Order: sequence, then C-alpha cells, then structure tokens
Amino acid sequence: MTLFEIFQYIIIAFYVSGMAFFFVGTLKNNKMLGKLGNLAAIGGFALHTLDLLLAVLLYKGTVLSGGYFYFSLLGWSFILVYFGLWWKVRSTFFALTASPLALLLFIISLAAQSLKVTLPAHLAGLFIGLHIGTIFVSIALMAMAAGAGIAFLYLNNKIKTKANLSAMGKDMPSLNTFDNVNHWSILIGFPLYTLGLAAGFLWARGAFSKMFSWDPKEVVTLVVWFLFAFLFHQRLIVGWRGKKPAILVIIVFVITMISLWGINFFVPTHHSFKA
Amino acid sequence: MDHNIYLIGLNHRSAGVDVRERYALTNVEEFEDGLLEIGMREVMALSTCNRVEILVVCPPDMSDSDVFKYWAQRCCGSVSELEPNTYCHKNLKAVKHLFRVACSLDSMIVGEPQILGQLKDSYRNAVEAGGARVIINRMLHKAFFVAKRVRTETSIASSAVSISYAAVELAKKIFGELSGQRAMLIGAGEMAELAATHLLSSGVEKISIANRTFSRAEELAKTMGGEAVPFEKLYDHLSETDIIISSTGAPHAVIKARDMKQVIKKRKFRPMFFIDIAVPRDIDPDVNGLDNVYLYDIDDLKDVVEENRSQREDEAVKANSIVEFETLSFGNWINSLDLQPTIVDLFNRSESVAQKELAKTLKRLGDVDPKTHKALETMAMSIGKKLLHEPVAFLKRRTEEEGNADRFVDLARRMFNLDNDIIPPDAHCARKRKNNPED
Repeated sequence: MTLFEIFQYIIIAFYVSGMAFFFVGTLKNNKMLGKLGNLAAIGGFALHTLDLLLAVLLYKGTVLSGGYFYFSLLGWSFILVYFGLWWKVRSTFFALTASPLALLLFIISLAAQSLKVTLPAHLAGLFIGLHIGTIFVSIALMAMAAGAGIAFLYLNNKIKTKANLSAMGKDMPSLNTFDNVNHWSILIGFPLYTLGLAAGFLWARGAFSKMFSWDPKEVVTLVVWFLFAFLFHQRLIVGWRGKKPAILVIIVFVITMISLWGINFFVPTHHSFKA
Repeated sequence: MDHNIYLIGLNHRSAGVDVRERYALTNVEEFEDGLLEIGMREVMALSTCNRVEILVVCPPDMSDSDVFKYWAQRCCGSVSELEPNTYCHKNLKAVKHLFRVACSLDSMIVGEPQILGQLKDSYRNAVEAGGARVIINRMLHKAFFVAKRVRTETSIASSAVSISYAAVELAKKIFGELSGQRAMLIGAGEMAELAATHLLSSGVEKISIANRTFSRAEELAKTMGGEAVPFEKLYDHLSETDIIISSTGAPHAVIKARDMKQVIKKRKFRPMFFIDIAVPRDIDPDVNGLDNVYLYDIDDLKDVVEENRSQREDEAVKANSIVEFETLSFGNWINSLDLQPTIVDLFNRSESVAQKELAKTLKRLGDVDPKTHKALETMAMSIGKKLLHEPVAFLKRRTEEEGNADRFVDLARRMFNLDNDIIPPDAHCARKRKNNPED
C-alpha cells in the first residue's frame, strides 16, 4: 500500500493547505488566498477521487467492507458539495465548513483502516452504491446547510440587535446567501436522502429478507427523514425562510452526526464499524 | 541643506468658512507662476473648498513670509489677517503634513478618499507648469505611496460614515446584491431622497414613492425614474417591496407590526428592511421582532455611524505611525542630496559590485596563489573607481559653479539607484505621453 500512503499524505497536504488558505483568507479578507484555497482543494479532490477509484478497482473484494472507505467517501462528498455551492454562490465561505470536515473524515479514514463493516457477502452492488452515495452527499449538503445556518443565526442576531457590523469582514456573505444555501441544500438533499433510504430498504429486503428490522440506525434515520421531510415541505410549500429552517437544519444535522458517530461505533447494529 | 521646504495652508480647523472663501486660490496656475517668478525654486498649490495647501521649496535667502505676502496680495487681503488663520510647516514637518493630507488623516471626515484625487490633479498641473521638480516630485510620489500603504494596511476607509451610506451597507448585509431589490420611500423628505439616490446607484431595480400629497410623490418619482403610489394603497405595495425608507411627519406610527404579519405571509417570508428616519418614528418598533424583518431607526443608524467613526480614529493611530516612518525615510533622502553622502554611496556601490564580481571570478578559477588574488582584487576595485571619477568630478564642478546641484545629485542617485527604490513599470508613462501627444 505504499503508493496509497504517499497518495494519502499528498491529499492531506492539499487539504490542510487549502483549509489554511480558506481560514486565513476569510480572517484577512483576502480574495487571493481564497483562490489559492480553491486550487489546493481542487488538487486534493482530484487525487482523492483517484485514490477512491484505485481502491475500488484494486481491492474490489475487500474495500467495500472496510470502514475507512466510507469515511473517505463522506469526506470526498463534502468537498464535492462545496464545489457545487461555490459554483452557485461564488463564495469560499462554505469551505470553512467543508474543508475541516473533509480533512477530519479523511484522517479518520486512515486511522480507521482496521475497522470492518459487517457487510453480507452478497453485495447487491447497485443498491449499496446508491444507498451510500446518495446518503453521503445529502449528509454533506446537510453539513453545509447547518454551517450556513449557524452563520445565518449569528449574523441575523447581530443585525437584529444592531450590533457593530464593521468588525466583520466585507466579504462575509449576506443573510440572503446563507438562506439560499439552506434552500439549495434542502432542495437537493432531501430527494437524495429519500432515494438513499429507499435503496437501503430495498437492499435490506434482499440481504436480510426483511425491509425493516428495528435496527437502531434505521429508527434514527427514519426520524431524521421525517424531520427532513417536514423541513422540505415548510421550505418549499409554505415558504419558510431565514431563522426557522436554519434552526431545523442544524437539529437534523446534529442528530445525523450523533447517529453516524454514536450508533455506528457503540451500538450493536448491522451498520456497525466494529470488527 | 541650501533650501527649505515650506508647507503653508489653511483648512477647516484653522480658518472659518469666510476666511477660506476669501483666500481660496481662484487660479492656481497663475499663483504658482507668480511664486516661481519671485524666486521660489519649486511650487505646488492645492485649493479646495475645505483647504488651501501651498508647498514651496525656497532658496536660503527667502522664507515663508514671502509666500504669505504674495498670497495676501493676490487675494487682496492682508498678511495680518491671513496669518493667524493658517499653519506653516517647515522641512520634515511639511513633509509629514503633506503625507497626512494625502492619507486623508487631516480631512474633516477622516478616511474620505477625494483629497487624494485632488492632490494628484494639482501635482499633475504643477508638473506640466514646471513648478514641481526634484524635491516636490519626490515628495508627492512618496505621498501617493504612503496613502496607498495606509489604505491597504489599515481599514481607515472601509466603513460607512454617513447615515444614508450606512443604510445601504446594511441592506447589502441582508440582501447581498441589491440588483433586483425594490425600494419604497414613504414620505418625501430630503434625507430619504439622499438614501434613495444611494440605493439607486447601488443597483436597486425599482423605486416607488408614497406620499400623502400625491403630486409631490409624482414629482419625485419623475426625477428619480420611479413610480408614485397613492398613500392609501401603501400596504398593497409593501408586499412587493424589499427596502422601505420612511420619513413622514406623521405623529403616530404609519406601519404597525400586526398589519405587517399579513404582508410577510403574502410575500412568502422574503426578508424586508425598514429604515425609519422620521422623528417621531413612523414604524412600530415591534416590527423588528418579526422574523425576516429588519428595522433600523435614525438613532440606530447614528450609532452605526458613530461606531464606524470611532473605529476610524483607532485606525488613524496606525496610519499616523506609518506616516511617521515614511517621513523619516524621506528625511534621509533629503539629506543625501548633499554631495558628500552621495559620493560615499557611489563608491560603496562600486566597491560592492567589484567584490561580488571578484568572488564569482575567483570561484571559477579555483585555487589561485595570493599574488594573483591580490592583483585581481586591485584591478576590480580600480575599474570601479576610475569609472566613477568623471561623474564625481562633474558633480563637484556643478556644485561649485551653481551652489546647488540637487538636480544632478538626484539624477545620479536615480541612475545608480542608490536608494534601492522599487520602480513601478508605469513610472515613465506620463512623460512618454507628454512627449508623444498623438498616442
């Protein structure tokens, strides 16, 4: 795995420098650094993609049951979603959420190489791919929306209480931008999440011969889905904007994170990462 | 030093508006020519509504009193009336004052950018008229450099210090780009008009005006290219409006929080920004408590402006230390215009070049015996010295003949780049343009 190791260090280097550029650029209000950050992120992302592809091609049989692969994939989808957002709103602000999370997940994926996912041998390739890919991208979208939500609440509070705004950078996006991120994340994230869930249940029917087995992970995921559905409805049909969807998406994201870290590691479930 | 730099002037602090009016320079070019005629070596003058600055380089036998006399005479006034209203800085103090003016540290509103443009214009005119030569040239270039440094290194000019501008900045924090947003004026006061103009120039898509006297609304709508709205139909139009500036003379609230709930629902919770500049207030303060609605009244805006101002004062401290530093470095340059330091610098330069080349050659040759080493060293050094002999003799001769060879000393310093300046790529564009006017 030496090739992989070198690869992984280069990817980490790219992500670390990208993150540093983003943070310093935002603090110092420097657009140039934001651009450098983007370049580093693109470099890291390209290698990361290659890394994932190679892992799948070379270790086809074992890689899908290695816990690390999924962490890496989740990190990758954060960066992917960040690029999507950047394309939409042209602000590097959201890299402040995406880059540390992606880096963290990637490093965890290296540390977690010994973890094993208890996957049944007969992987129904299409469903598992659909299940994991869509769920991960929608988690990344949730994270972005939660980051934007926190920023929204912060700035909203500042403006409402008439606090001094000049201390903030000129390049801090407007309330509307944060709200737009929330809108797009929910608009894309919820259908993806639904699709992922459906694929998971269909696959479970094949693998465990029953759709729903009261697995803790499944229960929490359903709860999240209901909250997400509620949010989707309020946002797109009722037309919620601003504070309420921001708060709700933060709650959804926190529950998802608890379920990802807490349940996958500590609770007996067929999603467990434990060997 | 056989010359003195004086900066004589008056500004909003030193003189009342009547004095500023009387002693403003109506024809700056003639004024500069006049000063050159009475024997000043270099002259540049700037005259705006808030200040007059006269920068002169005097020969030793003249002084600031000559400038005062000439100035009073041209403006048909008297020195005794003029002098108490002015300030006069000499040499490095003059340099420092000029830098402060260029950085807008001396302006009524610290950090406002116009003064730098005005200074650039006066400098260009002075160059064309022949008033700006070695010292003023260098001084103004340095002043522009300092101004740029202050602008990039401090945030002296980055926050709004007028109420209407602060309102626009806030709107940008809420909506991002203002293009596509719609604004409405309720009541047609002067301040509201000003804020509306700011909004329009920041790209607001449409502006509508509601006023109790409809004809006034129509009139204003015409001048601003907006739409007049009957006052009774105010609420119908509110649901399509994002930014509202209210300034009616009504004794009670024109917009109430409970009526707003309907409006917000109708516009699907899109954010709204109310700016209430009326006293007594037009808009129920509870409106600010509604989600996605933001309300700033005149006091809130004043607070914002006040905070920004005090922040600018803090930044001014930083800017002042930059000015101090650059003034010192300018002082070093002025002193170097004396012949002796320049000769020393020239020989030092030649010696360091010789040493560098010697080291390169020795490295290439490998092992050489001490005798060859010595011979090579002597040769390198003496080539440098011999080359400099003629220019140095020339500078000495000029100094003896004319008593003042600033021009040539400065030229030599620039030719050999003794001050290690970084020369911008467009440094000579202005001169080229002057020589080839057809470009």
